[in-house]
Amino acid sequence: MASAPSKLYADDVSLLVVLLDANPFFWSASSLPFSKFISHVISFLNSVLLLNQLNQIVVIATGHNCCDYVYDSSSPASRSAGTGKLSALSVDLLEKLEEFVGRDEKLLKKEPEGSIASSLLSGSLSMALCYIQRVFRSGPRHPHPRILCLHGSQDGPEQYVAIMNAIFSAQRSMVPIDSCFIGAQNSAFLQQASYITGGVYLKPQLLEGTFQYLSTVFGTDLHSRGFLQLPKSVGVDFRASCFCHKKTIDMGYICSVCLSIFCKHHKKCSTCGSVFGQPHSEAASEPNKKRKAGDT
Amino acid sequence: MPQVKIIARNFMDMVAALPAMKLDQLYQNAFICEAILRSLPPLAKKYVIQMLYIEEAVTTKSIEEWVLPDGLSKHKVAIDRLLQLRIFSEAFDRSSGTSYRLNPTFQSNLQKHITCGGVLPREPMPSSITARLPSLEDLAVFAFALEQWECFLLQLINSTQAEKMTNISPSMMRIFQRGLLTQRDKEPPRLTESGFQFLLMDTNAQLWYIIREYISNSEERDVDSADLISFLLELSFHATGEAYNMNTLTEVQRNTLKDLADLGLVKLQQGRKESWFIPTKLTTNLSVSLTDSSSRKEGFVVVETNFRIYAYSTSKLHCEILRLFSRIEYQLPNLIVGAITKESLYNAFDNGITADQIISFLQQNAHPRVAERVPSVPENVTDQIRLWESDLNRVEMTPAHFYDEFPTRDVFEAACDFAREYGGLLWEDSKKMRLVVKTDVHMHMREHLRRQRQ
Repeated sequence: MASAPSKLYADDVSLLVVLLDANPFFWSASSLPFSKFISHVISFLNSVLLLNQLNQIVVIATGHNCCDYVYDSSSPASRSAGTGKLSALSVDLLEKLEEFVGRDEKLLKKEPEGSIASSLLSGSLSMALCYIQRVFRSGPRHPHPRILCLHGSQDGPEQYVAIMNAIFSAQRSMVPIDSCFIGAQNSAFLQQASYITGGVYLKPQLLEGTFQYLSTVFGTDLHSRGFLQLPKSVGVDFRASCFCHKKTIDMGYICSVCLSIFCKHHKKCSTCGSVFGQPHSEAASEPNKKRKAGDT
Repeated sequence: MPQVKIIARNFMDMVAALPAMKLDQLYQNAFICEAILRSLPPLAKKYVIQMLYIEEAVTTKSIEEWVLPDGLSKHKVAIDRLLQLRIFSEAFDRSSGTSYRLNPTFQSNLQKHITCGGVLPREPMPSSITARLPSLEDLAVFAFALEQWECFLLQLINSTQAEKMTNISPSMMRIFQRGLLTQRDKEPPRLTESGFQFLLMDTNAQLWYIIREYISNSEERDVDSADLISFLLELSFHATGEAYNMNTLTEVQRNTLKDLADLGLVKLQQGRKESWFIPTKLTTNLSVSLTDSSSRKEGFVVVETNFRIYAYSTSKLHCEILRLFSRIEYQLPNLIVGAITKESLYNAFDNGITADQIISFLQQNAHPRVAERVPSVPENVTDQIRLWESDLNRVEMTPAHFYDEFPTRDVFEAACDFAREYGGLLWEDSKKMRLVVKTDVHMHMREHLRRQRQ
């Protein structure tokens, strides 16, 4: 799959949409405490706002059951003055984040089965892309948008279709998706997202230095990316999940009309409704081999 | 035609030219660090943020490794700028070579800013006091700023269209007009070439030009330029439309504010006991426009392929500017209609305006409806403007000397070769043995011919 076409950027004004993972199941088991992580993130966000008066930041929190906007630097309500010890951004962000976590908890119906407790990445990606589309329509002079995923939870294969749709839509609008993955193993979804849209995927090795990773790699505006060395992708896990059971598979059946992926043979495609023929079994291919042997 | 370009000397060059001690003093103010950071080229900003928490010096080689080969020229520009502004200090070590380190005051101020946010030295005044006077909404404040600024500009170019005079003293006006207007005896002052180019610049560039003149003049009035610079940069971080009390300012700052009010940067108001000032959009744009990036304001000019200009504006200043290079046909309540003709352009070229300036003015001020179209000004119009300009440049003149009556052909050939070697040969005629040589080679030619005779 080709990576995103490159675009020429005239200046370094950026709109950074941050998807912050606020999944309680992940953070309770993480080595880096959430409070330390948030302080790194807030310093990073302040440094982005510092660089250019016209830079904008939007933070969307990704929970286990829901996602919501927790900070928008361009909204008039966010200009409340900071206290001497905390910046205006921290005050707003932390307040909204607390409310969000409370709401997320209320929506929890039952404990997730098994070990996978994924966060709703597809929801927050879609919200980010909708916001960016609105910015594109706001006029000729708009900041250059990009998405940064600060994610740690494991991939939920049931979100495969929605996430891939969001990734292709971002590729079409030429919005790079960067990922800073703080979980244990690499996330296939985020690797694919960064590869396809032309963003950067990084799994920091020293979590205590998260601010330095963020400011060095992810703080680069789109104009300067043409001049700076950024981490290249090492290997991307392109495995898909099947549409019927949401399992990760390497080999499967594909509908020739809509390219949906299935792990077992079905009579009809569930996405487009086209009817499939008989499955090619091993017994059916033997008469062909006998006929060929007969010819020669 | 001599192409004189107004030296749009960057404000930051002026800051960089301040003596080292004054510059270090400036960096103690967190807002100045922020303003200066914003004025750096994008790569330089990146380097500062990356080095923000690094205490030790980083070698030049490691920093060069951060950049792709394409970006080396930009890298050099960024590093030079950082050294010029004393944000990076250079150290030389025999084992590891040159290395760079962030200025410690700058570094600690920015670190504090990132973690704790910035706090202005003054708070906006409570609305209970300011509400006694008619409330100023954002739009009214912006309208006031524009009006004042236009009035000032019209007065600057001594236009008869200026309706009211601003309160700027005649001596200040003369300082601003220095370089923009010339006055011959018994004639009204005329705009110089730089004056025309000044009018075609965008508002932020004009603003910085005026402020730079104001600051360079401040030394004569016994005001410390570093203080002025720090006050102006601090002002740009105040919120537009909020009232700030005057009693938080020093005497010098209060005088400065009165001058700035005449330019439209702040609005002064008097309550029953206290007086306050309200910064306008022009002030907050000060820190945006420190870089060379184009301004982001609404355009108003539509240029059509039949060379007609339709400008949706009521401003007299815009009318004057368009009159510089086009023939204004009629003015309606919200529309100015004109045409670009050969005569009007020749007029402009006589006054020293170049085709590029006219074209960039039209492109930068293109109406939003045509701005999205590529190109925003039709190509036949831009091409024709350039062609008309080159019409005036048909003859190129070089000072030269003419040599005639050579004694023999050999001497002539030798002279030709000699001139060709020095790159000064302009024309030769072998039949009649005549030669035209550039003036700078003339003296060498004489020496050479004298030697030949001997």
